[in-house]
Amino acid sequence: MTKALLKKQILEVFSWLYVNRKSGKRRQGSGLIGYVLLYVIVFGYLGVTFYFLADTMGDAFISMGFGWLYLTIFSLIAIVFGVLGSVFNTYASLYRGKDNDFLLSMPIPPSKILFARLCGVYAMGLMYELVVMIPAVIKYLTVARVGVLGVVFTILIPFVLSLFVLTLSCVLGYAVAFFSSKLKNKNFVMVGLALVFIVGYFFLYTKVVNYLMDIMTDPSNVAGKIKNVLFPFYHMGLAAEGKILSMGIFTGIFIALFAITWFVLAHNFMKLATTEKGEKKKEYKEKKAKAAGYGSALLRKEFKRFIGSPTYMLNCGIGCILTVIAAVALMIKKDTVVEFTKLLAGAEGVMVLIGVAAICIIASTNYITAPSVSLEGKNIWLLQSLPVDAKDVLMAKLKLHLLLSGIPTLILSFAIIAVLGPSLMGSVLIVLSALIFVCLSAVWGLFLGLKMPNLKWTSEVVPIKQSMPVLLALFGGWAIVLAFGGVFYLLRDTLFEYPLLYLGFVDIVSAALSVVLFCWIRKKGAKIFAEL
Amino acid sequence: MLKIENLTKKYGDKKAVDSLSLHIEKGEICGFIGHNGAGKSTTIKACCGILNFDEGEIYVDGISVKKEPLKCKSMIAYIPDNPDLYEFMTGIQFLNFIADIFGVSAEARQERINKYATDFSILKNLAQPISSYSHGMKQKLAIISALIHEPKLIIMDEPFVGLDPKASHRLKEIMREMCDKGAAIFFSTHVLEVAEKLCDKIAIIKNGQLIRTGEVEALVGDTSLENVFLELEEEK
Repeated sequence: MTKALLKKQILEVFSWLYVNRKSGKRRQGSGLIGYVLLYVIVFGYLGVTFYFLADTMGDAFISMGFGWLYLTIFSLIAIVFGVLGSVFNTYASLYRGKDNDFLLSMPIPPSKILFARLCGVYAMGLMYELVVMIPAVIKYLTVARVGVLGVVFTILIPFVLSLFVLTLSCVLGYAVAFFSSKLKNKNFVMVGLALVFIVGYFFLYTKVVNYLMDIMTDPSNVAGKIKNVLFPFYHMGLAAEGKILSMGIFTGIFIALFAITWFVLAHNFMKLATTEKGEKKKEYKEKKAKAAGYGSALLRKEFKRFIGSPTYMLNCGIGCILTVIAAVALMIKKDTVVEFTKLLAGAEGVMVLIGVAAICIIASTNYITAPSVSLEGKNIWLLQSLPVDAKDVLMAKLKLHLLLSGIPTLILSFAIIAVLGPSLMGSVLIVLSALIFVCLSAVWGLFLGLKMPNLKWTSEVVPIKQSMPVLLALFGGWAIVLAFGGVFYLLRDTLFEYPLLYLGFVDIVSAALSVVLFCWIRKKGAKIFAEL
Repeated sequence: MLKIENLTKKYGDKKAVDSLSLHIEKGEICGFIGHNGAGKSTTIKACCGILNFDEGEIYVDGISVKKEPLKCKSMIAYIPDNPDLYEFMTGIQFLNFIADIFGVSAEARQERINKYATDFSILKNLAQPISSYSHGMKQKLAIISALIHEPKLIIMDEPFVGLDPKASHRLKEIMREMCDKGAAIFFSTHVLEVAEKLCDKIAIIKNGQLIRTGEVEALVGDTSLENVFLELEEEK
């Protein structure tokens, strides 16, 4: 029974590898090999990156007798990696398992179901963790002179460490499950959390180099502080040197932590699996109805679709927030930017060009229209059966993009004008260019969405993250900026004297392209949409 | 109210509907019966203007679905067999969306929403997102959205599937009330007993062809619709 449950769990956890999420069909033959190879390359690339980091740190740390500190640093990175990789899987498989009812209806002890589920989470965490730990262990074993026991313990360390990853994933997964069942406006909270995560990631990324430099310049000072705070990891390092007592302490602590988690989960699993986590249902209270126009109803429907999905907001509209953040950051760091502009003194027009390019690159991260046609999915019958002109539906999709992307872009344009202080013509061109680019990206995205629609998805992630329109909309926007920038660079001897004139030319070309695409959408695009 | 003339729809070389002609008058309820894959849903979708057809014509109150689809759609309400509604909206938001599209006044929509949502015991649930609705609740919401603009022609694909007995009973009453006011109803069903008791007219389709049509009494005679249907199935 346990074997069958384990097999089912492992198949479920790694189904992303052999099941095509777009079609729901099993990958076979070359498709499967290609997909596995892709992941081998991605994980291999990450492994090599971590090996270079291990190579840089390993020699210095281990030769100075701080092998334990070296392993601690990599263990912490591995834990973060493992937890991030497995926490959402824990949430989905442990706390929101779709087959809980099915399994519980059979004569299977709940503890066995829990065990199988935890094994799946353990395997997932281990997979991510090993990407960091394999290079770190290889480097350690090639530099540190440890005996047979040291080699055995060093190889065992990642597997014990993964127990801690599992413990953390269970706790954090429970937090995700708890908050997601309690919170109101979940979509906005999720977007907010994702933004905090992105900002935190970049903050840590910029700081981590400084921390590593501190550790490398004065390891004994840092080691002294860490030894007491992270003493299990200190013993992990000593275990790698072959010390049996330290291996016992390190393993004992992590097993004890997991045992507590197991105890709590085992006693609550039935409750977790069988309690309906639904929100308190809001009761309808009659209000005075308001009638709205046909156009505004379609626009509101598009807006609700957008804010109704954190995936849609985060992937296709993150630029709306990033643009405002960029505008605020620009005003705060105004002096630094002004210092930079002094490097290009006398080339005010070129600064305008750089400013416009920056706006366009950020605005390209908004591609709200690109998946909007495919997102109609199974609901397409509604718009097709209602007395609604396909043209008006498409115009509502465009309007939403223009509003959500246009207003923040205008704010950033004004911030750039305030910081750069260009001439009147320069200012007008900044605003004009930004708005034309927003129009172009809106019609370009919708054009792609109409050319490559996919209404047969089962998860909205497919049209939002894994579709060609989305990919081409994002990179297409950047390609346009690069193309115009490239032309300016290649013809710099001539164009450097007339940057604003060149920008005007770019605007005319972009506007013309937008008009062509807009007309196509209204005629052929509307016909395609009506016949989907 | 609904006039289907020689409707033909092909999928590749296969004729899903073959020269089908059917007339439904104002005030009439017409049941559309056939085995799975007979061509019922194809015919229904063509009538609603959501599926192009190869030959023939369909008229709603004298207006061609092919030539003036929007005019026709403004008179029709369509309920599919498995209504996929906008799950990102709440029930009330969805009803208001439909009312806005049809230009229903604030007063009229308020009155109709209250009436029908109470009839189908769904009033209290209107503030909840549709994603939290059961199949039956979605079906009820789709029915209310179809009634909200007082259509002249209601086209339904298996409307009773998923409805509880009370809602099912109320829907039958509403169908009759609508027809008494001059509307027409065309619906498919596998429940022959419902068709026999509720409909004025029956149309039986087999392999894309209309094999029998007529008033219920004339069609059934002394036997039951089930017997007639089974006999016809065996005959051809």
